[in-house]
Amino acid sequence: MALEGAVSEQGMIGWLRRNIFASPAHRFGWASVVLLITLAIAPTKDFFNEWRHYQRQYANFLSSRPDGAAVKRHFNGGIQQIWLPDLNVVDRCPTCHLAVAEKTLQGAVGVPEPFQAHPLAGHNVKEWGCVVCHRGQGPATEVAEAHNATRAWEQPLLPVKYIQASCGSCHHGELPEAPQLARGRELLTRLNCQGCHKLSHLEAPSLGPELSSVGYKVSREWIYKWLKEPRTVLDKDGNTTVNGYESGDESRMPQYRLNDVELRALSAYLSVQKAKPLETYKINPGVVATWSKKPDLVSLGEERFRQLMCTTCHPVAVTRAGETKLIGGNIAPELTKVGSKVNEDWLVSWLHNPQGYLAHGEMPRYGWTDEELYKVSRYVTSKLTDSDLLSTVPQLGPPSDDEIKNGKRLFLEKGCATCHSMQGILPQKDFGPDLRTMGAKNLSELDFGKSKAPHNLISYLQTKLKDPVSVNPAARMPQYTWNQADLEAVTTALLSQTGEPATSGLEQLVALKKPASFQAVGAFATVYERYKCYACHRFNGYGGTLAPDLSYEGSLAQRKWIFDFLKNPQTVRPALILRMPQFNMTDKEASIVAEYLSLAVQKPGVDPDSIDPRLFTPAMVAAGKALYQTKYQCQSCHTIGGMGGYVGPNLNNAGNWLTPAWIEAWLRNPQALQPGIIEPRRDFTDDEIRDLTAYLMTLRVGIKSQTTKSAANARSVSLGAGR
Amino acid sequence: MKSKLLLIAMLIGSVLCVLALSGCKKSVAAVTTDSGARVYDTEPDWNDGTKLIPLGYQEAQGKRIFYQYCVWCHADATPAGPSNRSNLTPVPPLMNDGEKLNGESDENLQKIITQGGSAVGKSLMMSPYGKTLSPGEISAVITFMRAIAQPAYRKAGQPSPPSTNK
Repeated sequence: MALEGAVSEQGMIGWLRRNIFASPAHRFGWASVVLLITLAIAPTKDFFNEWRHYQRQYANFLSSRPDGAAVKRHFNGGIQQIWLPDLNVVDRCPTCHLAVAEKTLQGAVGVPEPFQAHPLAGHNVKEWGCVVCHRGQGPATEVAEAHNATRAWEQPLLPVKYIQASCGSCHHGELPEAPQLARGRELLTRLNCQGCHKLSHLEAPSLGPELSSVGYKVSREWIYKWLKEPRTVLDKDGNTTVNGYESGDESRMPQYRLNDVELRALSAYLSVQKAKPLETYKINPGVVATWSKKPDLVSLGEERFRQLMCTTCHPVAVTRAGETKLIGGNIAPELTKVGSKVNEDWLVSWLHNPQGYLAHGEMPRYGWTDEELYKVSRYVTSKLTDSDLLSTVPQLGPPSDDEIKNGKRLFLEKGCATCHSMQGILPQKDFGPDLRTMGAKNLSELDFGKSKAPHNLISYLQTKLKDPVSVNPAARMPQYTWNQADLEAVTTALLSQTGEPATSGLEQLVALKKPASFQAVGAFATVYERYKCYACHRFNGYGGTLAPDLSYEGSLAQRKWIFDFLKNPQTVRPALILRMPQFNMTDKEASIVAEYLSLAVQKPGVDPDSIDPRLFTPAMVAAGKALYQTKYQCQSCHTIGGMGGYVGPNLNNAGNWLTPAWIEAWLRNPQALQPGIIEPRRDFTDDEIRDLTAYLMTLRVGIKSQTTKSAANARSVSLGAGR
Repeated sequence: MKSKLLLIAMLIGSVLCVLALSGCKKSVAAVTTDSGARVYDTEPDWNDGTKLIPLGYQEAQGKRIFYQYCVWCHADATPAGPSNRSNLTPVPPLMNDGEKLNGESDENLQKIITQGGSAVGKSLMMSPYGKTLSPGEISAVITFMRAIAQPAYRKAGQPSPPSTNK
């Protein structure tokens, strides 16, 4: 065999010698042929490239369309590239996505991928390229390399479902155009994720309540129950209940995985926290003696509870027509079973002066009378209760020293001090991992542990969020429950945490968040702090959103009206369920607020004194009335005298409420005064604006005002503008 | 000896050729895209709350503008509670009322929103929004209206959708 092989080799070499290497010319010729074939490899390879395949398909596709000829004129063939040196973008995606910027194909039906035009979006392809939003590898010209994660490029295409994450990478401020991102950011803030994690560009979280004196407030049994199940999962969508009622966002305490020993220890430790002695408030014994005899004490208390509008901030479960649901605001704790939670002494002192227990809480200090305090606290402790609430809690007895010691250790180990302040314990900073670059993490940086989840960033985030211990058995992160939409929203917000932009070009384009601050000064600051105006109202971007923004109240409302309103709040918007509570402000406090708002909180360019209403004539008023009722039909949205729509504020008392300068500026351009307001800007002539203003200023109803000396004072100032 | 070297060179050359050519005709690679999930936002079907209607970017912007400006009169429930719709005569159409609105052309709807109901002989109570919203915002609202329409809206010349949401 070996010999035969050698012989045939001999033969083959012999054949080669005779035919190919016969002479130098032969050798040169054949070498040239080989060289030419080698040289032809590159063009051949290029000819069979994927993108040429797509470009041929595209040409066929266009010739099948009636408008194809026109579109074809834009099609040159070859590698197509978007090069944006300022953004450091080199995107060759249009090499295959040939019609991506083709306006005539936008929204066209029956166009196959990859030839669909990009739908109209916030940024266009030609100015921004593709990878800025979609991620993936821009310069790649092969399908798999451009779209998928490869060993050399770990950032795959972002699924369109989470595309709003890319908006958030640059737009750090509010972005209503990206609703999913906005919801995700809201959840990251509401759930206090920043208690443990570092995150960029989010609102500061409002952390859990201080617990230094919680032993006065609740029993050990209640703490045990709360730690065990601060919420229970209602259904497979992750909807949760608190106290058995379907809850909105108001409950933020997550579920920790605690066993009986840990629950006993933590409840023991917390129940002995009495750092600051409780300032018990003694209700006048005469009041107690008189009122405790009344058989309808509790129902009178309930009536007062409703009148005081506690539900503007606190949700309470109400059963109507057989269906139980929470009604009321969502910025304060739910109160349906609060009577089984708090101690009565604590409740009375809390209602009397919340700031005595929690210096930085958001509950205002109401000027309640002893009668009100007695009635309402009796109602809360006898009606807002549930005798079964603590039935599943074992007998705990007095806490032992060991349990207390163990509880303190657990308090630190579980990271309780990241959200709750506690006297003698330093806040725990950087308790959880820094997430400021989480959205740009490479696959190789993620530890999936024993989890069988698909290996990509999105699945990692969602697996971790759904069940923290599934990827890391030692995870300290508590258990959250999510419905699918919220899970996706939070994923989007986390994916937007990509750190500083990688390229200097993008860095310059980042839309920074506007800092919001409002510093109340002088006597107003004291009232502002006492009544916690900022819990509901917003001033120059700072404060709550439950109630109207007061940043321009001084230009809008007359000083006397503000005073009267504070003394006796009535809603100006008929459709509202939530109303300003009755604070029982003193005249002095009300006039301080009225004076401060009308002088210091103004819209530049609207001078309340710029128009003299004395120049309005009855003819103007009549003309204005006709415009209001017939030509512009303002009654479709506004109510006067019980007639009209619910969209805009009730104008029954416009003449006492609004300043003529504000009405005039408003009619000229409502959005200039309040961006995004519903009322459309109309084509009023100057005369029409004057006539409408004159008419609205005649609309007055007598408010039952509790006039005293200082009220008269406030009135004398407003008279100049009012008449 | 020389010829042996040449032979080896040629062999190597041809091996390279084969290797290089083998990479030429690649089958088109599979892409892990989510063509089924091109959803920027969703809106529950107004007639059937369990169904979600997927919205693209334009439609999602229309939804946002709708819920800011239009919902108060063109829906039966609003984010703030009851609707103003029942207060008005004539009663404004619901925004998803395909029977009433599918017949109106995009241009006509754009005109009604921009210049108000009176511009086309309809109710004065429909205010003009041309100075409040940009033409782009108004057409976004129209695309949203088309997306939620019941019965489903079909563009002129567009074949009927495979399954109508009825």
